[in-house]
Amino acid sequence: MVRGYILLLVAVALGVPSLAMAQTMSFGDSAGLIASSCGADITANCRGVNLDSNRLKECLSRNQDVVSAQCKATYFKAFEAIQKRIAARVTVANACQREIVKLCGGSTKETSRSIPCLLTANGVSARCQQAVGEAGYR
Amino acid sequence: MRRTATSLLPGLIAASLVVVSAPAWPQDITREDIVRQLSRFESAPTLDLPALKQQTQERSKIRSRTEPPPQKRAPIAPELMTLPAFNVDIQFDQDTPIVRPESYQAVGRIADAMVYSDLLPYTFLIVGHVEANGNRESNVILSQRRADAIRDILANTFKISVKRLQSVGLGEEQLLDPSKPTAPVNQQIQIITVAKAAEEAAAPPPAPAPAAPGKQAPRKHRN
Repeated sequence: MVRGYILLLVAVALGVPSLAMAQTMSFGDSAGLIASSCGADITANCRGVNLDSNRLKECLSRNQDVVSAQCKATYFKAFEAIQKRIAARVTVANACQREIVKLCGGSTKETSRSIPCLLTANGVSARCQQAVGEAGYR
Repeated sequence: MRRTATSLLPGLIAASLVVVSAPAWPQDITREDIVRQLSRFESAPTLDLPALKQQTQERSKIRSRTEPPPQKRAPIAPELMTLPAFNVDIQFDQDTPIVRPESYQAVGRIADAMVYSDLLPYTFLIVGHVEANGNRESNVILSQRRADAIRDILANTFKISVKRLQSVGLGEEQLLDPSKPTAPVNQQIQIITVAKAAEEAAAPPPAPAPAAPGKQAPRKHRN
């Protein structure tokens, strides 16, 4: 009996994207993680609340007492992963400052305009490359 | 495997439940699919959204006997039909603009696609549709609220610039499959590429960037 559950849990755990990675998670994976670990809790306790970082997080923490353990263990990290991915776009302006200005003739005030250039230019630093990847531009 | 079925029974039951409930789960979409569809942009149409919204609303109020049935009505915005579009089955709570958890991932993937390099120069129209059931006028209102909800999630939760997002609800005035007016296919959300930022993708001179995804860090830049 127990073995079956363990196998199932292992299967579930393997299917969930790892949060421990240094790389950021895609928005789709983060949002999917919120759904898979908190979907039932949201349906039961947060009807009428949309996928809004503030409101949904607020609703789940307000319902701490009834929310499933799986959801409690995950939702904060999942929302944090979304914030990390957003923050990574700002990091690009800093990590790629030299590349944006010198190689791409762009401005760090309009980072997104220089992205296609950053992806193809030669001599882009490893730090910049990593920032571009973490922001989800690639 | 089968011989140990008794010990694995609970797991098998759970697994079969997952399989049974699978069809209700919306299609697994990938960022690549969305990017492929939406980057096929050629030329910008002239769109007058306030006029389109008014037209849609007015037509949905017609109570004339000579009004054709849903499947025979001309699309209200034929100019949208030739543009690059990604149609997606987003599950909402009934009669509300609340996205169900099973569609969170799909909305996240749309945000991923909009951040992806190839789509950065574009702006998008989010179009809501509702199948031809119930009150025609309420369907326009509901589809508008749903399109607005998707726009808000993309802008607030995933910080896609609002400058790149517009939304309109067409109710049942532009059926995606007119042969099945009440089928779920007519309740999809469409993401449509409607414009490209000024043609300077190759050589970027300083100019307003509608694609700017977020604010700059308040930190001082290193030199």
